[in-house]
Amino acid sequence: MARRKESDRAQQNNDDSDSNPNDELEEEPDFDDPEGYEDDISEQDLMGDLIRQRPKETDGVESIVVIDGVPQVGPERIEKLQNVLKKLFQKFGKITNEYYPLNPDGSTKGHVFIEYSNASEALEVLKGTNGYKFDKNHTFTVNLLTDFEKYNDILDKWENPVPQPFKEQGCLQYYLLDQDACDQFSVVYEQGDKVAVYLNTQPEPSLLEERPRWTETLVRWSPLGTYLATFHAKGIALWGGEKFQQIVRFSHPGVQFIDFSPCEKYLVSFSPLADSRATDEPQAIIIWDVLSGLKRRAFNADKSQALPIFKWSHDDKYFARMGVDMLSVYETPSFGLLDKKSIKVQGIRDFAWSPTDNTIAYWVGEEKDTPARVTLLELPSRNEVRVKNLFSVADCKMYWQKSGDYLCVKVDRYAKLRKDKSDIKYSGIYYNLEVFHMREKQIPVDSVEIKETIQAFAWEPVGTKFAVIHGEPPSTSVSFYEVKTGQTPTMVKKYERKPCNQLYWAPSGQFIVLAGLRSMSGALEFVDTQDFTVMNTGEHFMATDVEWDPTGRYVSTAVSWWGHKVDNAYWLWSFQGRILKRVALDKFCQLQWRPRPPSLLSAQQIKDIKKSLKKYSAQFEVKDRLKMTKASKELVEKRRKLMQEYEDLRKQKQEEYAEQRRQRIELRNNVDTDETEGRGGELEEETVEFFIKEETTFIDE
Amino acid sequence: MKPLMLHGHERSITQIKYNRDGDLLFSSAKDNHPCVWYSINGERLGTYEGHQGVVWAIDVDWETKRFMSGAGDNMLMIWDVQTGKALGKIEAKTSVRTCNFSYSGNMALYSTDSTMGNPSEIFIIDVRTVDSSFSTNDPILQIPLTNAPKATSMVWGNLDEVVISGHDNGDLAQWDLRTGKKINLVSEHAKSINDMQLSKDGGFLITASRDCTAKLFDADTLECLKTYKTERPVNSAAISPILDHVVLGGGQDAMDVTTTSTRVGKFDARFFHLVFEEEFGRVKGHFGPINSLAFHPDGKTYASGGEDGYVRLHQFDPSYFDFKFDY
Repeated sequence: MARRKESDRAQQNNDDSDSNPNDELEEEPDFDDPEGYEDDISEQDLMGDLIRQRPKETDGVESIVVIDGVPQVGPERIEKLQNVLKKLFQKFGKITNEYYPLNPDGSTKGHVFIEYSNASEALEVLKGTNGYKFDKNHTFTVNLLTDFEKYNDILDKWENPVPQPFKEQGCLQYYLLDQDACDQFSVVYEQGDKVAVYLNTQPEPSLLEERPRWTETLVRWSPLGTYLATFHAKGIALWGGEKFQQIVRFSHPGVQFIDFSPCEKYLVSFSPLADSRATDEPQAIIIWDVLSGLKRRAFNADKSQALPIFKWSHDDKYFARMGVDMLSVYETPSFGLLDKKSIKVQGIRDFAWSPTDNTIAYWVGEEKDTPARVTLLELPSRNEVRVKNLFSVADCKMYWQKSGDYLCVKVDRYAKLRKDKSDIKYSGIYYNLEVFHMREKQIPVDSVEIKETIQAFAWEPVGTKFAVIHGEPPSTSVSFYEVKTGQTPTMVKKYERKPCNQLYWAPSGQFIVLAGLRSMSGALEFVDTQDFTVMNTGEHFMATDVEWDPTGRYVSTAVSWWGHKVDNAYWLWSFQGRILKRVALDKFCQLQWRPRPPSLLSAQQIKDIKKSLKKYSAQFEVKDRLKMTKASKELVEKRRKLMQEYEDLRKQKQEEYAEQRRQRIELRNNVDTDETEGRGGELEEETVEFFIKEETTFIDE
Repeated sequence: MKPLMLHGHERSITQIKYNRDGDLLFSSAKDNHPCVWYSINGERLGTYEGHQGVVWAIDVDWETKRFMSGAGDNMLMIWDVQTGKALGKIEAKTSVRTCNFSYSGNMALYSTDSTMGNPSEIFIIDVRTVDSSFSTNDPILQIPLTNAPKATSMVWGNLDEVVISGHDNGDLAQWDLRTGKKINLVSEHAKSINDMQLSKDGGFLITASRDCTAKLFDADTLECLKTYKTERPVNSAAISPILDHVVLGGGQDAMDVTTTSTRVGKFDARFFHLVFEEEFGRVKGHFGPINSLAFHPDGKTYASGGEDGYVRLHQFDPSYFDFKFDY
């Protein structure tokens, strides 16, 4: 464009000079290169865009296809072959030219060139007839003529791809090396606009990293705490290391849910809307390799299924999903079905992996005369290690204890069943807790009957207790049961009329928070289940979430903007229920503790530590006290500075005030009011005597 | 100590003020009768009858001779404190939102709302002689705030030479009375300024804003010095005359109160350290937002007036005076 303009202008100049020959024109500078001058700019740089449009030799031949694998026939049958092929290839467009190369003896060579009227038709042919089975012995191989050029460019010698240079990620586990084993937590606030990561130091959490627009919705820690996942419209990003640099990205448009495998090897991302686009490749669920960032397998989603669709075994070896009347177990790293076929389970309702073994528990609903049953299935052997039949079952829920020692199945049972056309109505519902002792021979099952509605159930993560909230709110009760070898579970404590709706065990067991969230206005009770003392009660008004830190030392409560629109804040408590910190944040959404991998210490080592806890705690107390005094010193220092600044300003103000005293007195009619301010309040006591009555009495003597 | 509850108003309190001596407390409410009370025992001395609309603002001069009130009936009235008689009145075009006597008591200012096409305006008037001709006298100065945010709160600046106005967009402006020109403008608040009060010596100014904060300003330079943060709109704030304390009052918007419990509303009076910006105490009691707060001039009592129609007089316990921050 510019070029043309220039030439236009030159033209005009010429015109001008033509029309006004007398005009004194400045001599046109000579733009020509001197002879022998070599331009140091290549033509490619100068006008790459033009060169790219330069006509190529192949122009016009894109519409020619080469068909290989055509039967070789003698001259007498050429016409017949031509007719058959014409019929076949006419379907794709208008044939403008065809050529049958012949051997010297007049027979065909076995390949044919066909030219179409345009290139798109040729492409259609390629799609439609490449690999076409002409007859038993002849399969067509179809190529574009232009492909020859493409294949020409391929080097004869294979060159190994250059390995990617190793990128130093730093120590991803650095957070475990913190001197005082402080835990990190992430905070999402301002409606998701800001994400911050804090280190829970005492007495004040310290900010490690804060970024605006780090995520678009929420963040998730990976199960061992190595990565922080952020959600974006285009996919998921994982961050880690000391500076929270980006480790890997997974492109999955519209992703809404993610799930890590327990060992963090794989990530499952789920985009509920992805299926609407018509592609052959499934888009809804993608399983990624976390370390390499590569896609491993994609699945289509069944809309009706509850999340997570895929459940992982504890060691990342298997993952499973439930289908209609079947359970599909896949294995890694091949990502194929285990033994190439799904497990047929008629009427499967739900399943759950054991948290420590490759055992699946699933249950099957009642069907006519066959009772409902819970099955424990060992993988990959597919041994049914235990089957328990259950009668009059309305619903079941399975709860694995975190150490995998027990499985509790909460069974909703009915006394009467009424079928109303398609509706099934249960009445007289009561509850059974079926406890499977996984570590004992033949897995004995005990059952506990509870008459009232069960509101919540929770296993002690480490230990032998479980807690149940039962009854109708607000007059709910909390019961604690202990499970022992060879015995039915025994109730060890019952709190009558404890208004709460959620149970939160400390990750290390023993301590539990009974919480009445949301509608129960955020009442909290901290209980030590060793001797069932209520250590403390508290309240975080309208709290929506309670979370233990991974070591069980602190508890966070939160009023999330997602659940409640005002007073969004998070509070930190000690495990004994002492409030440590209240942090109010605008539109605060979510607080998540960074998880820790399981301890590497052996049981004996832990025992030893517990034994000498007294010694350690003395050391820690000294440390804590030091920190507190340091912090209060810092605070005092800060206050002193603020006070000094303020005093300086006030002094200046007071001097000005004193200077203006005369003017002020003038303003108030020469009355000095500076000294009498506020004196009216100090009432002077006045004694007023009234003469009320006079009486005279005579006293007889 | 148990507070005195002054229940003389039928509707929500709009403003309360002590006189300079501190023996009297004046209050106005959305019912049309401003009241005067003995601050020592909460006994009502009398009312000022004559308004026909919500009384938005009141003030009393330094001699406690004259009392002024501005109301939603578009009237500014000046009264004799002792007799309760109306001495004079001025009819404005729109409702009178603020009114203040100057330091000398010779002048007064009032500001009006912007409604029905009339802009918000600031008037400075001479109040040395208040009689029947009062209404026809021209104001000393008239500042129309055309195409500008309306004035929601006003105070006199140093030596009656400037006035400071707070606006409903959070701006703070300083006006020179000799020229009638704006000499300073700061925008520290994000939302409407509900109340402004000066420190005892007039050197500092505290603002209360709907943006859930109160801020301390240098009254001369309008430099923002401190910020006191809460979670609810702040309707009023006052500086203690004797200690480095400020008190903030407010709570959830009056219009939302019926839908929430008192605990969500946070209708407490909240005490902050003036310098450290740290909250150290709360006083609850009102069951609606606090609309106005005032310290007694001796600093030993404070009063709060709420949306619930009560004025509460709180005498500080000895522990309040014993409490000291470490520094």
